[in-house]
Amino acid sequence: MKKFILLFALLIAGVTLYGQTIRVTGTVTDQDDGSTLPGVTILVRGTTTGVVTDAAGRYEINTAPDAVLVFSFIGMQTQQIPVQGRTVINVVLAREIATLDEIVVVGYGTQIRSKLTGNIARVAGEDIEYLPVPSVQLALQGRAAGVFVEAVTGKVTSASRVRIRGSSSISASNEPLYVLDGVPLSMEARNIHGGDINPLAALNFNDIESIEILKDASAAAIYGSRAANGVILITTKKGREGKTRLSFNLQTGFANPSNKREFMDTQEYIDYFRHAAKNADAYEDRIYGDPPGFNNWWQGFVESRFRRYSGHAAILDADGKYIGSEANTNWQDQAFRQAGLMMADLSAQGGTPTLKYYASGSYSKQEGIVVGNGFERFSGRLNVDNQVNDWMDMGLTLSLSRTDVDQINADNAFANPIQLVALVPISPLRDKDGILSNVPVTTYYNGLRHVEYADRNMNEVRSTTNAYMDFKLFSGLNWRNELGYDVYTIKENNRYGELTNTGESTQGYAFSNYAQTQNLLGKSYLNYNNSFGGITLNAVMGTEIQYALLDRTYVEGQTFPLDDFKTLASAGEITGGTQEITEYSFLSYFARANFDYADKYLFSLSGRIDGSSRFGTNNRYGFFPAAAVGWIITNEDALKDNYNLSFLKLRASYGVTGNAGIGNFQHLGLYGVNTYNNQSGLIPTQIPNPDLGWETTAQMDIGLDFGFFNNRVSGEIDYYYKNTTDLLLNVPIPSTTGYTTMTRNVGSMENRGVEFVLNTNNLVGAFKWNTSFNIAYNKNEVTDIAGQDIIDPGGSRFMNVVMVGQPIGVFYGAEYAGVDPDNGDATWYINEKDADGNIINQGATTSRFSEANFIVLGKPNPHLMGGLTNSFSFRGVELSFTFQGVTGNMVHLSGDSYMAANGEWFDNQLRSQLDSWRPDNRTTNVPEARLGYANGVQGRNSRYLEDGSYLKLRTLTLAYEFPRSMLSRIGVERFRVYLIGSNLLTFTNYTGWDPEVSSDFVVSNIRAGIDFYSPPQPRSITFGINLGL
Amino acid sequence: MKRKYITVILAAMLTTFMACDKYLDLQPSQSISEEIVLDNDKNVKNVLLGAYSIFKSADLYGGNILTFSEVLAGDGEIFWSGTYTDIREMFNKQMGAANRDATAIWQTAYRVINITNNVLSAIDVVNDADKGSVEGEALFLRALIYFDLVRFYALPYDAAGNNTQPGVPLVITPTRGISDDNNVARESVEAIYTQIVSDLTRAAAVLPASNGVFATSGAANALLARVCLQKGDYNNARDRANAVITSGVFELMPSYTAVFNNNEKSAEDIFINRITTQDRFSAMTEFWSIPEYGGRDGDIDILDAHLNLYVEGDQRKDLFFFGNGQWRSGKWNNQYGVVNIIRFAEMYLIRAEANLRLGTSTGATPVADINTLRKRAGLGDDYYATVTLNDILLERRIELAHEGHKVHDVKRLKLNVAARPYNDPKLVFPIPFREVEANPNLVQNPTY
Repeated sequence: MKKFILLFALLIAGVTLYGQTIRVTGTVTDQDDGSTLPGVTILVRGTTTGVVTDAAGRYEINTAPDAVLVFSFIGMQTQQIPVQGRTVINVVLAREIATLDEIVVVGYGTQIRSKLTGNIARVAGEDIEYLPVPSVQLALQGRAAGVFVEAVTGKVTSASRVRIRGSSSISASNEPLYVLDGVPLSMEARNIHGGDINPLAALNFNDIESIEILKDASAAAIYGSRAANGVILITTKKGREGKTRLSFNLQTGFANPSNKREFMDTQEYIDYFRHAAKNADAYEDRIYGDPPGFNNWWQGFVESRFRRYSGHAAILDADGKYIGSEANTNWQDQAFRQAGLMMADLSAQGGTPTLKYYASGSYSKQEGIVVGNGFERFSGRLNVDNQVNDWMDMGLTLSLSRTDVDQINADNAFANPIQLVALVPISPLRDKDGILSNVPVTTYYNGLRHVEYADRNMNEVRSTTNAYMDFKLFSGLNWRNELGYDVYTIKENNRYGELTNTGESTQGYAFSNYAQTQNLLGKSYLNYNNSFGGITLNAVMGTEIQYALLDRTYVEGQTFPLDDFKTLASAGEITGGTQEITEYSFLSYFARANFDYADKYLFSLSGRIDGSSRFGTNNRYGFFPAAAVGWIITNEDALKDNYNLSFLKLRASYGVTGNAGIGNFQHLGLYGVNTYNNQSGLIPTQIPNPDLGWETTAQMDIGLDFGFFNNRVSGEIDYYYKNTTDLLLNVPIPSTTGYTTMTRNVGSMENRGVEFVLNTNNLVGAFKWNTSFNIAYNKNEVTDIAGQDIIDPGGSRFMNVVMVGQPIGVFYGAEYAGVDPDNGDATWYINEKDADGNIINQGATTSRFSEANFIVLGKPNPHLMGGLTNSFSFRGVELSFTFQGVTGNMVHLSGDSYMAANGEWFDNQLRSQLDSWRPDNRTTNVPEARLGYANGVQGRNSRYLEDGSYLKLRTLTLAYEFPRSMLSRIGVERFRVYLIGSNLLTFTNYTGWDPEVSSDFVVSNIRAGIDFYSPPQPRSITFGINLGL
Repeated sequence: MKRKYITVILAAMLTTFMACDKYLDLQPSQSISEEIVLDNDKNVKNVLLGAYSIFKSADLYGGNILTFSEVLAGDGEIFWSGTYTDIREMFNKQMGAANRDATAIWQTAYRVINITNNVLSAIDVVNDADKGSVEGEALFLRALIYFDLVRFYALPYDAAGNNTQPGVPLVITPTRGISDDNNVARESVEAIYTQIVSDLTRAAAVLPASNGVFATSGAANALLARVCLQKGDYNNARDRANAVITSGVFELMPSYTAVFNNNEKSAEDIFINRITTQDRFSAMTEFWSIPEYGGRDGDIDILDAHLNLYVEGDQRKDLFFFGNGQWRSGKWNNQYGVVNIIRFAEMYLIRAEANLRLGTSTGATPVADINTLRKRAGLGDDYYATVTLNDILLERRIELAHEGHKVHDVKRLKLNVAARPYNDPKLVFPIPFREVEANPNLVQNPTY
């Protein structure tokens, strides 16, 4: 980019002619290993004259004796060397390290890092290249301070939760705005089957040049009403001048679940449930006094169920009495598998001084670690920049990708393969005819039938294009026009055979769902750069218009003659169909001015006016301004060129951003259509609110950027305070009105935190060691919710609530007090509260769940998180690893109220339940096993809440890059072999599959940290080669 | 040269900047705005249909209103073996105030009530010819729902008491905006019953005798008979039941099997919820049946204590089937079949019980009515020579088994559920937790 600007300026200035030329020759070598570098571009500064080094790294060029030569090569620091009459100039190029002079992409422009006044985290494309993870969000884990990324489950296509500096909304979206090459992306995926998916799965992140994360108001305010959750700018690779460079990457490997849990086997199961039945009978005698008809009923019942669940594997004695089962099925092993991974990428990059391009094609196949789950992605990209003449540039970025997804159910469905763990070891996998066994033999529906007897395919096609024309009006003033188009379609075809529970009673069932989101964008802005009298000015002003349309059609049918007929055309009856069209628009005006005086005092003013169809007629336009100041202390004369303290900048910003992430038309009073008796009727669906507007987040940020020892040690410290008011809140209203909620701008919430980033070059020279560390603390607090104390969407199964004075989504339930050693009853703390809400009679317990008062038991989001990356390299050998961790959050093991339920019902139990209370085992945390009687298994119960802190070894890369000197002989520029391990280690006290979880069927702003039969993250190892020509 | 461009460019830019507000005025495609709905005959009728479209939900008469009456009082005769914990809590009388199902019924019920209130508020724009039918149907639906609300969410009506215990909030005007006025307190049980009787009396007078699958005068009379029986007002119960029986509109189906799993309303059905293939499935099938018929795993088991109530040869017992390891009710094996809400046989049971209690024989003697039902069950022309009250109540238990009468009969007849007396607060649903939070004027039920 820098070269581009430079070149551009030079072209405008015109070519100067020199009278005298000399011939300069030399060799260019790599500082790391001393090998010669072929393909280095050498330009005479101020001209278009240039040459490239040959295979042996040699060059020769004719130039004026007082000229300056510019040596540049990808991944190397550019060097400018004055000729000074010499005829031999040998050059050693050093590898590029992130420096304070790097160019950072900001909204509608770029800036030099050292002059930033806002907080922007940058992740370079090469840092995440070839990571074997399915989406760009997951590639960011642990790489930017204050950016929390969580995959909600371990399914390949699962949605991820991204929180930048905490949650700022209760009812509206908490996800950041994603902007791909200037196009704000639609993040709405309207699939029907399989829970929340990730709409960015279609993006091949090997095409990414850099990702900039705009965190504070000064950086983000230019995105106005959509910036309150931060903005993630994704910039793809551009063409570079010079000969075409081809890069080919091939990668293959495998993945396994990163964790498994231990379940009972056949013998343990039978023993345990006989014991639980006996206890149930004894318990009835205790509470009912042994009434007639109750006599040992459960003990008979359990034997009848054993026989039922054993199916053809039942072992009976001569009298027909149940003895045991020949089966010992490990259902968990049936749910998981070793998954294959394969990725291939080919990219080409090159161009002339006026026409440059980047083109790529890639294929990725990632099987899920859960049976039936997987995805394939084909993607292509073409980025072109063309300098038409000395006052006009034009170009485009174009991507097209297709993913093919093998779907599995959302976590709460019986057909979710992970729910197989509820099936019991005594049940055989298949019946005598080889058909997968099912109820009544299995305790619940055998979800493998969905894998074997159904076809569930989802196909996504996404194309994002942005075309621009840039006019140079006069020196320093550019006028840029862009047209963007993002189209995202989802096509789901599901067909359930007669052996599935969906198709069983309907003689086969199928649906087809087609959803398309189109997003059109036009923008036009002026960009002005100038320097005068020690002042450097950079200003942007423009307008943007955006329109998005979602169109979805759905058809379903049943009664198929045979399972072999796959499409709805063969359905005997079309039982349903619908169409949905919805749209929104934004009309915006934005401006920004950055200026600095003497490279020391930095000022920035920015703002945006946003109008949107989503908001009420009384509140249609919002204004979002921000201001920032910075002081580069080390540019003061007294500190200039100080080796020890090489850089110090103090900066502060304040501004206002908004959140428009609610549905469309929420401000209108509406009637919708609903049917009865196949006739359409009208029903009121929404109460009007013409005052509806956006949420407002005011954010203050104070930061210090520092560099020591010639910037070998550099970093940032930031403190921020975010106050969100006018929360878009779905305020619960009395249902007796006929409505349950109304979207209103009420309530407030705040986030405050500290971020710390430290980058060090511990060792330089032949053996290199770099460390990059970030840690962030965030405290979230709900300060007002429309005058109410609590919003509780929990019901009896989930316990996340919103409560004043607490972080969003806190777990609110009964506090488990362990087991009564005398009788094995589960007990809870009563936690009785006085009029002021203080707990009285601390420590008093009860065995009646209903007597226990709910208290706040923990929060679902971490308050502390961090990442640590270390890279070592020596003579082409490279080792790097990234650790990422979070702490302070709890996870609700919601599924454990079935699988760790001390034998309350017939679901197979975790082996931890073997420790349940017995007269000879009185000190335990597992209550007495009682079949049919809930003994401590209530959902809103801290028994099922655990610390969700973890530290994961996210990635480990070991690579060897062959020396160039060796490769140049065979005409190869780069050859690298590597191994990448992902999620190799997890340190946690969590007893479930994976503490990184939010279950895909419930995940929301409030409901997070829920583990309900959710698969863990995959642990993968891939081997790859990378070839550059 | 460049100046020329600048002029063009700035002109173009100004045009772009002037893009007007209209661009932001988008209108939804699947919905229409509130103002234009209630101003004409056609729309008001569509809104009435909208009321039925919510009435049919699983949480109401799609099944749960019926199922939960059985689950709440089914101890010993049925067993909830399903995985839904909210329903298991209900079965075990361990419900919390945030119980999902207790919340859903309340919310959905008031949704229908608001829609019927909207219809009633706009009755003036309905064509004269249809006014009676539209008004009557709206009143009927509102009364049906209030009757179930007051029975589930309030301590039982006591014929001997003054019934000042809290009932449910009485809302009879449409919601047009949200203010503190919407924080409606609970009216007394007596006041709710008064409203129900008044609505049904009016509905019975204005509704047509025949009206497809929608409410009829017969349905209003039949429901009124049921309400009066619950109140212990045997005179009116008997007379309304007798009016239905003598109307000649309904008849018993020739066999008990023919009463259930029908795709269409039968001659015996007085009021139904018609499920079509466009609706997902009946919530009765969901819980009472098994996957073979579109149910879940067989969430409700029928126990021997119930099966033993039937005498040899009673064809009503033949409807039970063994599936997924347990005995099941066979009344709900058609996932797109009608949900029978009021059927003709109940009228004989009400008339017989009321006549016996009053010592009258309006329409027919109690023994004749009971024998009519026994005969249809394949037990001969004159099964009983005489009947006692217990015989009639047993007949009711068998004939209407698993159709949603259980807990209400327990309360009416002051029976026990296991060790719990009829007025045990745990046999009453909690006022949903979120409602108590959202409306400071709502009083919670005892023990919640």
